Amino acid sequence: MNRVYLTRQEEEMLDGEHGWAYQVSMEVLVKLGDLFGASRLIPIKSAHISGVSYKTMGDAPIDFLDALVKEGGKAKKYATANPSGFDPEYLVGKLPERYAAQQLRILNLYGKMNVKPTFTCTPYYLREPRPGWHLAWSESSASMYANSVIGAWSNREGGPSALAAALIGKTPNYGVHQTENRQPNVIVEVERALQREMEFGALGIHLGKTLKDSVPAIENLIDPLDEDLKQLGAGMASSGMSSMFYYRKPAIKEKIETLSVEARDIDETIGSLSTATEKPDLIFMGCPHCSAAEVEKIARLIEGKKVAKGIELWVCTSRYVKRKAKKHVDTIERAGGHVLCDTCAIVTWTKKLGIDVIMTNSAKAAYYAPTLNDADAILAPMSRCVDVACGRKL
Amino acid sequence: MEIITLKGRCIVPGRCKGRALTSTKPISFLGGVDPNTGRIIEGDHDLRGKAVKGRILCFPHGHGSTVGSYVLYSLARKGRAPKGILNQTADPVVVVGAVIAEIPMMDQVDIQRIKTNDIIDMDGEKGIVKILRK
Repeated sequence: MNRVYLTRQEEEMLDGEHGWAYQVSMEVLVKLGDLFGASRLIPIKSAHISGVSYKTMGDAPIDFLDALVKEGGKAKKYATANPSGFDPEYLVGKLPERYAAQQLRILNLYGKMNVKPTFTCTPYYLREPRPGWHLAWSESSASMYANSVIGAWSNREGGPSALAAALIGKTPNYGVHQTENRQPNVIVEVERALQREMEFGALGIHLGKTLKDSVPAIENLIDPLDEDLKQLGAGMASSGMSSMFYYRKPAIKEKIETLSVEARDIDETIGSLSTATEKPDLIFMGCPHCSAAEVEKIARLIEGKKVAKGIELWVCTSRYVKRKAKKHVDTIERAGGHVLCDTCAIVTWTKKLGIDVIMTNSAKAAYYAPTLNDADAILAPMSRCVDVACGRKL
Repeated sequence: MEIITLKGRCIVPGRCKGRALTSTKPISFLGGVDPNTGRIIEGDHDLRGKAVKGRILCFPHGHGSTVGSYVLYSLARKGRAPKGILNQTADPVVVVGAVIAEIPMMDQVDIQRIKTNDIIDMDGEKGIVKILRK
């Protein structure tokens, strides 16, 4: 097997001279590096850690996190945390107390390791990395965005490997930390001018299924917004194993194959993600978490309207964006919507809240709702989501 | 006594001997294995209802959430983890789980030749798996 080169200090950590927490973290990084062909460990600028929501994990991680804390493990680099199962206000009290207690236990364990209580899947809205920075980000939509939209470099880490990288401050340099693995290897020609975020997400789901782990150069996207690209990447990462895509023509040296995506492919994907025909119980936007611009857009659409009886409207975002977009948050809440932070519909217990049908503008959320929420989904653009929330018939 | 020797690649070193529990299906540790009892709970899994405790767990590879690694650690703390793991292809979820839970693990093993309840003697350092059959 390949062997990662270690400095003397790294060897000491691996030998346990800095304590068990750093030893086990180093073992994780070295083992992954050995397996996937890293030559050494490289410093990271930040880590983003998934594995936070008690709903998605249950008690599974508590023993390990507890052991790390007891052994004094602390993040050496700026480390952010993925969403939790609760928001600080609206959902507390609606869900069993035991869930809240166990969730709080997990949040406290991360807190003791100096992981910032960001509880968002869009850490790039809080502190945007610079192009070329090496990161260890789990949450596949975030590492996809970092690589493809920002131009930073991150593998699709798992929760445990991102946490190990946070404690050590380094990551093994395999995968997309190596230039040759960032070369596009398939051209995607999109035969339809995509207009709405939902279509970008659907394109992502389609590409993820079709391309597995390739790096596509996607052509014919006309002035996409960063939020559209966020949807595209989130979809692609959900259904496939790609780490990144290109949306502006990159320099392609060799001749590579071309995949054509027809309008029909997009429509069929949207159709396959919409499993419900009945009225939704919940309209959910903010997967991945909304940017301030998206919160503003929703506010403009809903201004002067009222959310209909029997329907919930959730707009999910980070605490940071909620504060920043306060004026628009107020507009949405005046209309009867809820702007939740720290969580989202997918990582909380929607079934326990009596929700069977979720309407969303996110292809990723529609993709996961049947399995993770035991709910049927309806995929529709933001404007239609707002209209249906305010009582318009499907 | 029949002895069959297979080769493999050491992922987590260690030598151990135990009874095999073999599946042709990948295992998702998060959602697929009860972190408290160590029983396989995945709906249509061929090992559904079986406990992994003390067994040499043989399956093609892991899949599903990366948080599955923590399940292996949690089982080890409770004394309900498998004694050893043999995979066809190592994937990050199982590798990280075996590393943090200190469970001897090898991959690139032809697990199709192993039957449930075979006695397995695995030696990671040498990269050798012995199947002992009466």
